[in-house]
Amino acid sequence: MEIKLLSEHYSNPKFCELAGYEAFGGYKVLKTALTMQPQQIIDEVKASGLRGRGGAGFPTGVKWGFLPKNGEPRYLLCNADEGEPGTCKDRVMMEKAPHQLIEGMIISGFAVGSKKGYIYVRGEYFHVIAILEQAILEAYKAGFLGKNILGTGVDFDLDVYSGAGAYICGEETALISSLEGKKGQPKLKPPFPAVQGYLRKPTIVNNVETLAAVVPILRDGAAAYKKYGTEKSAGTKFFSLSGNIVKPGNYEVPLAYPLKDMIYKLGGGLRPGRKLKAVIPGGSSAPVLTAAEAEVATLDYECMAGMGTMLGSGAIIVIDDSQCMVDMLAVLTHFYSHESCGQCTPCREGTGWLNKIVHSILEGRGRLQDIDLLVKVADNMKGRTICALSDAAALPVLSFVTKFRDEFEFYVREGRSKVKGASHAQMHH
Amino acid sequence: MPKCTINGKEIEVKDGSTVIEAMHDQGIHVAHYCWHPGLSVAGVCRLCMVDIEGMPRVQIACNTTVTEGMKINNTSQKVKDAVKWGLDFHLINHPLDCPICDQAGECGLQDQYMEFGKYDPEMAEKKVKKHKVMDLGPTVVLDSERCILCSRCVRFTKEVSQSNELGIFNRGDHSEISTFDGQKLDNNYSLNTVDICPVGALTSKDFRFRQRAWYLKEGNSICNGCSTGCNIKTYFNKEGFFRVKPVYNKEVNGHWMCDDGRDLYKFVNRDHRYLKASHRQESGWSQILPGAAAKEVSTHVKAGGEELALVLTGQYTTEEYEKIIGIFTKDLKTKNIFHWVNNKESFEAFDNLLIRGDKNPNTKGLLQVFEKNQISKTWADLETSLKAGAIKTVVVAGPENLKFYKDLDAKVQLFSQAKKVIWLQTAKHPALEKLPINSWIIPMKSFVEKEGSFVNYKGLSQKMNKVTTIVSEALTLAEAAELMAGHQISIKPDTHILTDADRPLDQVMSEHRKKNEFVFKRGTV
Repeated sequence: MEIKLLSEHYSNPKFCELAGYEAFGGYKVLKTALTMQPQQIIDEVKASGLRGRGGAGFPTGVKWGFLPKNGEPRYLLCNADEGEPGTCKDRVMMEKAPHQLIEGMIISGFAVGSKKGYIYVRGEYFHVIAILEQAILEAYKAGFLGKNILGTGVDFDLDVYSGAGAYICGEETALISSLEGKKGQPKLKPPFPAVQGYLRKPTIVNNVETLAAVVPILRDGAAAYKKYGTEKSAGTKFFSLSGNIVKPGNYEVPLAYPLKDMIYKLGGGLRPGRKLKAVIPGGSSAPVLTAAEAEVATLDYECMAGMGTMLGSGAIIVIDDSQCMVDMLAVLTHFYSHESCGQCTPCREGTGWLNKIVHSILEGRGRLQDIDLLVKVADNMKGRTICALSDAAALPVLSFVTKFRDEFEFYVREGRSKVKGASHAQMHH
Repeated sequence: MPKCTINGKEIEVKDGSTVIEAMHDQGIHVAHYCWHPGLSVAGVCRLCMVDIEGMPRVQIACNTTVTEGMKINNTSQKVKDAVKWGLDFHLINHPLDCPICDQAGECGLQDQYMEFGKYDPEMAEKKVKKHKVMDLGPTVVLDSERCILCSRCVRFTKEVSQSNELGIFNRGDHSEISTFDGQKLDNNYSLNTVDICPVGALTSKDFRFRQRAWYLKEGNSICNGCSTGCNIKTYFNKEGFFRVKPVYNKEVNGHWMCDDGRDLYKFVNRDHRYLKASHRQESGWSQILPGAAAKEVSTHVKAGGEELALVLTGQYTTEEYEKIIGIFTKDLKTKNIFHWVNNKESFEAFDNLLIRGDKNPNTKGLLQVFEKNQISKTWADLETSLKAGAIKTVVVAGPENLKFYKDLDAKVQLFSQAKKVIWLQTAKHPALEKLPINSWIIPMKSFVEKEGSFVNYKGLSQKMNKVTTIVSEALTLAEAAELMAGHQISIKPDTHILTDADRPLDQVMSEHRKKNEFVFKRGTV
């Protein structure tokens, strides 16, 4: 069942305007939050068990705690570079409730002692940028942003920055490089952004959903938020349901919600006559689950980790028996080889190599040893680079090839897909 | 001073040392391409992998600071496999064109693959095509397909030359080094990018295709291009000198040298040198052996006294100055010793990196010897005496590198006011043909052909060894002084012409063999 902590009023078109937002209690939390001590807010967020909703699932309160005690300036960056294939939740959140994010950012900025925030929006979301800019303008006019917010002496300025469409800029240090005006490439860690981030100053980077979730947490209290989900996966989360499903879309459910229910109840099940073959549970970087695994999986960090995959950004891609796994993997390897920034050798060369091997198979030139080679190459890309893109490219390959090896072997032997009628993805160089 | 354990051996390292620095200090060879001690850490080649106890994944040694009690290991199978595959990733799109690649023989890919490689290539796909023979500027050519994108050159232009011409363009396996729009790689230090390029991507226009690396011998020396005194390595064979590279010296030049310094090897090669002494008589120029010429002029010089003058440039070694000034002041009894300053107005100029306005390697050394011998005559004194006809014989120790001496014609004219000019000179210059009747040109040894020291701008005296001999009959300034003063000395012509005089041939061979031992035991790698 959906629990709409954040999305309760998303169906109301007025909710994206300041007046509409305030009519439903918007900015009330801000007013109380500004009377609290910053540490109290951090403690509350820690107690709520909120984990980063962008993909890595790192506890938000703990991340905030990494900032040095003193020193200005420090920056709060909102990662709205939603690029993980299958993910479209941040877009809807920003379209439907820009003020929710702004309110969350002001509170979070106050909590971590930042006076300047940026929302880094992915380049393709130009209409979202317009909505955000309009909302920020309204917030400034109403005195929620700028100097001396609501007479409390707290300052917070907020700006929107447009990315240029690079997937890698969703990685926090690459996002920082891009925001600094440089080529969007991840930076070596250490130093970590909390110590040296944007313009070499202490910086916190949080996902849209994470920052927005701060509002209901402070509104209802950490305990109320923690009622949902499990001990380690608290609260609600948006899931973007896509693929071979009757009712694709964004659904806000409590964590630990059964994946089966997500597909068959909220998602309306598969198209008639189709059988479930696989599910990618957390965006294209997450290792794929077989239908059997999907039947028993629950949507929380622990269960996913236990099944060797991850909750990621919450993008659930449903794959039915009309799809060819070789074909699907080719789409993914092409994506990662296109998006590798090219800095680290294993990723730069490895993503291209994987892509070429999969396409060789797809074009009938595959050799049986290529299947093992895919595993070897992917294995040696994992954990060897500055950022996680290399892993993100390797993990789907490893899971596709191990779990659906028969389809790959069939393709190599026969030169065609095991799935009748599966069309070649027309990939393009 | 944290203590750590590297491959089972406990050592103490400097505060703030990275693991790769600590391992290098221990003489442990760690595979790497992007790391360079003179540049910032990029951490992109992912080869310097080490196992650190307590860390689940292998770590790069270049961006890991040693902490107390750290246990580091790079001999485990996990590390070896990571390095093998790391190298393979470097090579899958690298062209196999070693036979026609200028870097072959001194290539980081060849060397490290021999030592750490996988030896069973599995890449069966088409390689990525990139730009070939890209003209980056007046000195450097780029072959993008050979480039492994270690970003050393980019960081060099950003951090050292601060000229920012280079960048990496595009993404993924289509990334390429290039210059920014409309720019050329054109700065005074551009050839350092060729030195630090671990592969054959950046090559020097001056050197490329002229010699194979394995046909060259090496010898260290001191650059005589300016008063900085960069430590250099010269590369030569029986055909002459072919290039110069910097040698690390923390006190002087760090890891770098300027592009001007790299051209100076040209002045030492035979084509540019006086091989025989020349004597201009009524009937024209006649040639004799340098030693004989020096003896012959002694009849004019020996008389000495106030009619004799000595002009010195700051291009010879301190030891030579001591000898010649000693002989001229004590034996030949003249105080007419002058310092020929070539570019006084820019003497103090400095580009904040290496290049100094004083284009002589040993001005300081010369002035020190002047002071010791209480020589205080000025250039104006020389001009007056020459004009007045008081000086009859001038001995000139001419400049060795002519690039920075633009006023040779004027000087020839000036000295011609004396009846006899004895010009001691290394490299040929057309201006000297205008010397008057009764003049001599006596060939000198160049800086790579002799021992001695240069005192640099800050008073640091640097000793250099002889690299080889190019013109065996040429004299050092000291020898010339002795002979001109009529002293009996025996000069043995060098027999080891253009061979490594200090190292007998078989020793060279065995050292070479030792260095390349892995080639011979390749089968067991």
